[in-house]
Amino acid sequence: MLAAAPALADETCQSPYMAKITGEEEYVYIWTLGMEGLGDGSDKLVTVDVRTGSPTFGQVIDVDSVGGRNEAHHGGLTDDRRLYWVSGLDSNRIFLFDIAGDPANPKLVKTIDDFEEKSGGVVGPHGAYALPGRVLISGLSNSADKTGRSALVEYTNDGAYIATHWMPTKENPQGAANAEKADGYSYDARVLPRRNVMLSSSFTGWSNYMRPLGDVVKDPEAMKAFGNTMVLWDFHARQPRQVFEVPGTPLEVRWAWGPNNNYAFTSTALTSQIWLVYEDENQKWHAEAVADIGDPATLPLPVDISLSADDSTLFVNSFLDGMTRVFDVTDPHHPKQIYDKKIASQVNMVSQSWDGKRLYYTSSLLANWDKTGDDNEQFLKAYFWDGKELKPRFEIDFIAAGLGRPHLMRFGSAALYN
Amino acid sequence: MRIIGILAGTVAAALAAGPALAHDPASHAVTRIEGPADDYVYQLAPPGSYALPRIKPAAVLGLLDESGAPVDLKAVFAGRLTLLSFMYTRCGDACPLAALRLADLQRLASEEPALAQRVQIVSLSFDPDYDTPTVMAEYGEMMRLPDVAAPRWLFLTAPDSESLAPLLAAYDQPVARAAADSVSGPFSHLLRAFLIDAKGDIRNIYSADFLDPRLLLNDLKTLSMEGS
Repeated sequence: MLAAAPALADETCQSPYMAKITGEEEYVYIWTLGMEGLGDGSDKLVTVDVRTGSPTFGQVIDVDSVGGRNEAHHGGLTDDRRLYWVSGLDSNRIFLFDIAGDPANPKLVKTIDDFEEKSGGVVGPHGAYALPGRVLISGLSNSADKTGRSALVEYTNDGAYIATHWMPTKENPQGAANAEKADGYSYDARVLPRRNVMLSSSFTGWSNYMRPLGDVVKDPEAMKAFGNTMVLWDFHARQPRQVFEVPGTPLEVRWAWGPNNNYAFTSTALTSQIWLVYEDENQKWHAEAVADIGDPATLPLPVDISLSADDSTLFVNSFLDGMTRVFDVTDPHHPKQIYDKKIASQVNMVSQSWDGKRLYYTSSLLANWDKTGDDNEQFLKAYFWDGKELKPRFEIDFIAAGLGRPHLMRFGSAALYN
Repeated sequence: MRIIGILAGTVAAALAAGPALAHDPASHAVTRIEGPADDYVYQLAPPGSYALPRIKPAAVLGLLDESGAPVDLKAVFAGRLTLLSFMYTRCGDACPLAALRLADLQRLASEEPALAQRVQIVSLSFDPDYDTPTVMAEYGEMMRLPDVAAPRWLFLTAPDSESLAPLLAAYDQPVARAAADSVSGPFSHLLRAFLIDAKGDIRNIYSADFLDPRLLLNDLKTLSMEGS
């Protein structure tokens, strides 16, 4: 598990501090939101066998229910890939699963119940991002006003609280340039070590993400309470350096991997654009819109994105039209769409193997934002990508299987722990 | 010929493939840096301008020094600012790279005598069956500056692997047997190094990506300013 080991096949878009799988992924761990009246109705970690040739290939081989619904959403692996942290946006509970002891059979080893108290009022624990020996949790909201104003919260790998880093605001700029535009909102946060920078994005608070999407969209005041900024941080000092105006709720942050590629992509949910945040030749950082995603006027609602390990291809999902669009981003300033496919009535997350040949899609966004009736398709769909088109590999219907609403995926392999 | 000459060949390939060692020390004043891929060329916050929150107590254990005499990590840490790095001498990958950076740190810190007296570097082997006190002493002789003004650099090992296991677990330092055909040594491991304050608390954790001597020095200075 050398940090510098070659990554022959691993999911892209992960922390650079994380150990790499040096072969094909063997398991996909899916943090799944419980659905009322379906199975036990609880949030659960679902393990799927993706070992080519396995007798249980493409099947659910383990289910670990945590009991109750927490608004299961995101999470992440520790840098040594021994623990999979997953969290609940509503309950503020964080569940730590050991995936090293038996990668085919994760075990819940710890539950953090005091995130709000320890963090000083952060709620909506979101992603869990691997730092050396630590985990960085991006919050989505706060207990005081339930807006999107939030913070980044650090823990040790084994779940001990370390520190809270509040996002810059107009009132508390913390030294950041352009802070008069800062909204203080938070969503994702990721690091480019060689430039000592961290980039964070912004979403919306508890009062919006726990409310039915149809109601939110019809409420002008609620629609004002979405993030419109990204923040560049001095990562080592954990201090904000610069606020970018990125209208329309920039979500996932994806740094390029190439040693000369000092840039990141994001997509904006409400304005349906790909944005590029990049460093110029004078080491100044900029944010600019570089492409539309579908027809922004129809509100496709872009969600997850996945950048190939060679920085050439960006997969962009949009929730409301159920589409995945593939862009050639060889020139990051001028992405060109090269393919699209309707995955289902709705689609959210996409994870990609390091070699770019296998992709996995899941369907759920939020319990109150997912579609209803026949359009509430809930699934894991796996595809092969040959550079031109997606070809089906297998799929699992999470409703027929009595599981719920599948969301975040992470890859595992027994080869990591020999 | 000391560390640079001895290890330069060993790490040349790793350096070529990975990040460079350090950034421009004058980067606060000169923001323009030539070339698009000057790895680790970045601005650092001045010492004392940022917080290093307490992470957790640094675990301690009875170990062996280079003479084979018992030494307690608790006593080693007490009253000093420590940079602790886990390593093994047969490593052909991350450990020599880290040793180069720590050697740079020792040299940089030696230029500030008051700080140098408070600072120490501790390299601890997780391969005690091979890395006996004698082996560690020989390795240490290659690495260390002979300058008496330099911070001390201890090379410690354990009586055996079994006694060391709880310490590795406490530091979350996974070590596994590498594949038989591994060219980088018999073990695979994540490179971890720890900043430990005079009270014995861990205040920062570094991977290979952030084992930058100037960054380490700034963190040590930041800790030293807490007590001043």
